[in-house]
Amino acid sequence: MSDESIEFIESHEYYRPSKFSYKRVFLVMRRVLRQITRDRRTFGMIIIMPLIIMAVFGFALGGDITNIPIIVDNQDSGYVATVAPGVNVTFAFGDNITSALQKDDKVHYNTGDFESNKKNVDNGLYYAAIYIPSNFSESIYNKTQGQPINVTIIVYIDATKPTIKATILVALQDAMQSAIGAKGITIDQIFAFGGVEFTGLDTSIPSVIAFVITFLVLLISLLTIKRESIGGTEERLYASPLKASERLVGYTLALTILALIIVTAILIISIFLFGVIVQGNFFLLIIMLILFSLLHVLLAVFLSNFAKNELQAVQMAPLIALPSMALSGMLVPVNSFPVFVQIIAKFIPLYYGNRIFEGIMLKGWDLSLLWPDVLIISIMALISFILAMITVKDKIQA
Amino acid sequence: MTVAGYLIETQNLVKIYKQGNVKAVDGLNLKIHEGEIYAFIGANGSGKTTAIKMLTGMLDPTSGSIRVFGLSQPKNRKIIARNIGIAPQEYSLYNDLTTYENIRFFAYLYGMEKQVFKTKFDELIQILHLEDKKESLVSNLSGGMKRRVSIACALIHSPRLVFFDEATVGVDPILRKFFWKYFNELKQRGVTLIITSHVMDEAERADRIGLIRAGKLIDEGTPNKLKIKHDVDTIEEVFIKLSDEVIRDE
Repeated sequence: MSDESIEFIESHEYYRPSKFSYKRVFLVMRRVLRQITRDRRTFGMIIIMPLIIMAVFGFALGGDITNIPIIVDNQDSGYVATVAPGVNVTFAFGDNITSALQKDDKVHYNTGDFESNKKNVDNGLYYAAIYIPSNFSESIYNKTQGQPINVTIIVYIDATKPTIKATILVALQDAMQSAIGAKGITIDQIFAFGGVEFTGLDTSIPSVIAFVITFLVLLISLLTIKRESIGGTEERLYASPLKASERLVGYTLALTILALIIVTAILIISIFLFGVIVQGNFFLLIIMLILFSLLHVLLAVFLSNFAKNELQAVQMAPLIALPSMALSGMLVPVNSFPVFVQIIAKFIPLYYGNRIFEGIMLKGWDLSLLWPDVLIISIMALISFILAMITVKDKIQA
Repeated sequence: MTVAGYLIETQNLVKIYKQGNVKAVDGLNLKIHEGEIYAFIGANGSGKTTAIKMLTGMLDPTSGSIRVFGLSQPKNRKIIARNIGIAPQEYSLYNDLTTYENIRFFAYLYGMEKQVFKTKFDELIQILHLEDKKESLVSNLSGGMKRRVSIACALIHSPRLVFFDEATVGVDPILRKFFWKYFNELKQRGVTLIITSHVMDEAERADRIGLIRAGKLIDEGTPNKLKIKHDVDTIEEVFIKLSDEVIRDE
C-alpha cells in the first residue's frame, strides 16, 4: 500500500475506529418502534392491557367486603334486674347485638335455628351461624355486678376464606361493643367442614391450582397450536384431505394429554411438597381438574384462531389469566365487588374453578353441592368448542 | 380423463388481496393436459404462487372459475386434495420431527395403508437419496435435503397431479438436474406436474410453458414454439421481449 493510500485512509473519517454512535442507537430505536406499531394487535395490547388490568385489579382490591350472608339464632330471653328498691330495668343484650348486626352492611343478616342451620354453613348458603344463649342478658348483667361468669356466643364459621372469617368476627365484635359497651364476652368459634382449622396455605392452594391451570394450560396450548403454523405447515394442511374439524379435535386431544401432565405435576407438588389436605373425594378432584383443564384447552383452541403468530398467542394468556385472577374471588371475595362486577365474575371460568376446588379440597363437598358449578364449566367448554369449530380456518384468509 | 379433456382449466381467474388491494392474479386462463409438465414462469411477485394456492384450494379466488379433474375448485377441494401433491415454496415441514416421521404423517393423512406406505417410502428415499437422513430431525437438515423431504411428502401418496412451487430454486445444479430427471420419470408414469420458477432456463425442460407477468398470462406454448415465434434463442429472451412489449403497451 502506498503512503498516499495510508494517508487517505487515516484522514478519512469512515476508516477511523468506530465510536459509540448515538445516531445508530436512534436508528435501532426507531426501527423497533416502527415494527411494534406495524403489528396492530401487539400495539393494541400495549395500550389495552394496562387499562384492563388496572381496572379489574382496582375493582378487585379497592372495595370493602359487604353482604356476607350469616344466620343468627338469638335465644336471649332478656333479664329484668332490680337496680334500686322498686326500680326494675329490663335488659335485652341479645336484641341489641342483632339490631347492630342488621345495621352493619358487612354482613347480610338472617335469622334461624342454630343447630339446623349448621348444615347451611357446610353447604355454603351462609358463612357463619351465630348462637346467642337464653341466659345471655342475665349472664352479662351478673358479670357487670362482679360475678366471675363466662359469657359466650357460639359462632359456627366457614374458615376457608380468612378475609371473610375475619370480617364476620369484626362485625360481631363491633355489634357487641355498640350494644353492651363492654368487653369480656368470649366468642366460641367452631369451624365448619369437620372442625379443621386451615392454615393460610391450605386455604390458598385450591385457587392457586385453578389459576395455574388457567394460565399454564392456556399458554402452552396457544403456543403449541401457533407453532404449528410456522413455516407454512398449516397452509399445506389446507390443501390436504384433513378437515378443519379433524385438525381441531386432534389438537384438543393432544393438548388435553399435555394438560393432564400439568395436572399431575400440580397434584404431586400440592400433596407431597405442601402437604395439602383434601377433605372431599380425591377421585372427584381429579375428574374436576381434568374438566377444568379441558375447558382451557378448548378456550385456547378457539382463541388461537385470532392469533397471527406466537407473540400474539403469548399475549393472550395473561390477558385472560390476570383479570380472571382479580375477578374470580381468588384475591378477595367476590362479595366485596360492586354488583355489576359480581355479575361479570359469574362469566369467568376461574370463579367456578375456585368454588369447585375449594369445595372439594377444603369443604368436602361432593357433586350434590357442586353440580351447578360443574354444569356451568361444562357448558363453557361446549361453547368454546362450538366457537372454535365456527371460527377455525381451513383456507388462507386474504 | 376430465370432462373437458383438461386436467386443469381456469377461466378469467382473478385474485385481489384485501390487504393493500393488490391484484395478484388478473384474468388467468389455463388449460393443462393430463400427463404433461407445465412450467409456470415469471418474475418474483408475478402471481405464480397465488395461482397455485387457488388451484390447490388453499385460497379462494375473487372471481373466475377453476376445474381440477373436471371438478369445481374450491367447492370440491377435499375430494381434489386426495389426488394432488404439493411441494410448497417454503419447505412446510415439521422441524421437530424426523424425515421418516414427516413423510409418514403426510402418508397417513392421505389414508395410505401401513404396508403400502413402507414400500413407497423405501422407494422414495432411495430415489431422493435420503436413506442416511431417515432418522434425522428436519431442523438439522440442509436446505437441499429439506427440499427433498418436502418433495417426498408431496409424492408419498402417489398423486395424479403434483405442484412444485419454486421447488428447484436455490438448489445446486447437480440436484436440479436430478430433480428434472425424476420429474420426467413421474411424467412417464402419467403424473401431471405443474412447476413454478423464476429461473427461465428451467422452463426449457418442460413440455409447455406459461409466461406470467403481473398476474396475467402473457404467452404460452412449447419451449421451441415460443422461441421460434419470438425469434430468439432462449426462453429468458422470450420473457424479456414480451415484458418489454407489455411495458410499452401500458
